[in-house]
Amino acid sequence: MSSNTPKMSAKSRIHAEVRASLAAALWFCFLAFPLMTLSIRPGNAVAFSIARIPYLFAAVFLLTVLWRFFLRRRSFKNVSKAVLESEGLPEDLRPGPKPSWVSVFMSSKYRSHMVAFLLLAVSVIPFVSSPYVVNVMVVALIYVALGLGLNVVVGVSGLLNLGYVAFYAMGAYTYALLNQYLGWGFWVCLPLGALTATLMGLLLGLPVIRLSGDYLAIVTLSFGEITRLVLTNLNITHGPRGIGNIDPPGFFGIDLNGSVKTFLVQRLNVHPDMNVNKIYIYFIILAIVVLTIICVFRLENSRLGRAWLAMREDEIACQAMGINRTRAKLTAFALGSTWAGLAGVVFASHITFINPASFSFLESIMILSIVVLGGMGSIPGVILGAVVLIILPEQLRFFSQYRMLLFGALMVLMMVFRPGGLIQSTREVYIHRGGSRKNAPVPEAAPNRGGRS
Amino acid sequence: MSDAAKNTTDIRPGTVGAISLAKNTTEVRPGSADAISLANTRPMLELQGVHTAYGSIEALKGVDLHINQGEIIALLGANGAGKTTTLCSITGLTPPKAGRVIFEGEDIRGARTESLVKKGLIMVPEGRRIFPGLTVLENLKMGAYISDDQKSVKDDLEHIFNLFPILATRSKQSGGTLSGGEQQMLAISRSLMGRPRMLLLDEPSLGLAPIIIKNIFETIEAINKESGVTILLVEQNAHLALQLAHRAYIMTTGVITLSGTASELLNDESVKQAYLGG
Repeated sequence: MSSNTPKMSAKSRIHAEVRASLAAALWFCFLAFPLMTLSIRPGNAVAFSIARIPYLFAAVFLLTVLWRFFLRRRSFKNVSKAVLESEGLPEDLRPGPKPSWVSVFMSSKYRSHMVAFLLLAVSVIPFVSSPYVVNVMVVALIYVALGLGLNVVVGVSGLLNLGYVAFYAMGAYTYALLNQYLGWGFWVCLPLGALTATLMGLLLGLPVIRLSGDYLAIVTLSFGEITRLVLTNLNITHGPRGIGNIDPPGFFGIDLNGSVKTFLVQRLNVHPDMNVNKIYIYFIILAIVVLTIICVFRLENSRLGRAWLAMREDEIACQAMGINRTRAKLTAFALGSTWAGLAGVVFASHITFINPASFSFLESIMILSIVVLGGMGSIPGVILGAVVLIILPEQLRFFSQYRMLLFGALMVLMMVFRPGGLIQSTREVYIHRGGSRKNAPVPEAAPNRGGRS
Repeated sequence: MSDAAKNTTDIRPGTVGAISLAKNTTEVRPGSADAISLANTRPMLELQGVHTAYGSIEALKGVDLHINQGEIIALLGANGAGKTTTLCSITGLTPPKAGRVIFEGEDIRGARTESLVKKGLIMVPEGRRIFPGLTVLENLKMGAYISDDQKSVKDDLEHIFNLFPILATRSKQSGGTLSGGEQQMLAISRSLMGRPRMLLLDEPSLGLAPIIIKNIFETIEAINKESGVTILLVEQNAHLALQLAHRAYIMTTGVITLSGTASELLNDESVKQAYLGG
């Protein structure tokens, strides 16, 4: 944006903005021309109508003006902040990374109160809401676990894994198959599913460990697709028909929808249509998520976590520090997969029917979006990202067929205006791209552009 | 190249250097008043006929060099001569195809970089390569990754902050916000956190102002003198490097073409013409 210099008069700046917006609107109309003017009438007659084009033009023009206004405001804020930091303050007072409101909250003395309150609030939900809400929440929590697992791989270690869903499928199919053929229960299969996914993570990790960046992304993507195709074509998995009637988790051999349900409905006013198994699953996945958060938090601050961070930042320097790159990568890969396996088992027991279509590439992208949108490397960010990405589309059902369009637009806006994610990992606030080659200490205008360089 | 027997005076005050042409024959011990022949002592690091290739392109065509305990050795040469490749061949980042790399009597050719760190052979890579997203303190702690002893890490940190007070003031800042000179200080400090016995420095003067380079070089000298760390210094800036080093090797297209004491090379006509601007 060359029009950022303050020397330019306000008038000429506005002129430049309007010109740019006009150009954008024209370009958009040109692109959308066939889409907007040609239509098929009943009887296969092609109709041509140009009437909609002016409206489109006006709408795009207005949107572009707004868009550019917000972008300018944002970059202006950043520039003034940077100037302030580099000149206005004595050097030793230059602010460190500005903490996000969440981290301020979490590090304050009310932290334990906050966590307790949150846990209580989430625990009460199934008893006061409808079966629909519980279902959505279970799915959201599954995605929180998936997001946190992928966060270890992508956010913390910087290994772009586009085939994460394959490990999720491993967990789900482990439970489905063992349950179907051997009648094994949920609690036996939960660790087995996690183990299968971990082993697959190791197996995939071994050959691809030399790769990084785009190459790793392509290989993992292929791995995800191969897994899906294998599941589609194997006899034992019933191919695309999938496996149904998967048992819900056992509760000491008690049928939860019997007397327990009567008690809950009569005494605790639980929704009469509620499937108590879902409440049970809700608490299982909640426990898994809490456990995951504790694990990931402790991992990030451990020696291994520091090795992951170093690996993400600079692989050569990381080796020069005496970090075994292969081991760091493999553990990141395998540990990330473990949570996918856990989530997979819970998923299978939750929807009781799985087929390969549940584990498409789109699913990988969804989980990756959760991590990126939430904030790479940030635990609260990933949780929020999962909740937003799973619950928002549900709320947007009101807009029926435009739902996904709106959703996509929101994602684009997010990435433009908050590229570090909803809750940024505090460490990354002042990331410099290729900073080691620069001599000037002045931060760039847009410093927060994610962790990998 | 002049003959091996002639003695020349080193430009370093109080030091008299001797010429070493054929490896392992006559050797200079730094800081000693007399030229002592160390013909029977094993060098700390020795390269014998090292060949390294990137695919079919051979970058090193039989490099021989050796470094004794406590020395500062400069490795000079033009762009593409193979200086960095030599360092990477030592540390295993680009494993050599042939030849031997002997560190303290042990062949380390093809050993993993991280295992060498534990042996005390630490590299400061070209372009500093600090971790831009981590704070200065985290960068330094990362340097002590191999250490299990929290107490000694703390002591080392204190030592570093005395050596470079600026790093103490910036300890909460992320590495990427430091200036080039500060980043180089951080890179060197980070490697010191690993308690090296031999430091491999790849172009520490890269992209820095002359005054900062002087500062950095003084630090390197101090590290060598006070902590007794042996140093292999790869440099483009031949003049400065020769003032700092005890001995130097000059590389051209993958082979060592000249070697000798720093003072000898400083006075050598061909070196003057090629690297010191006449």
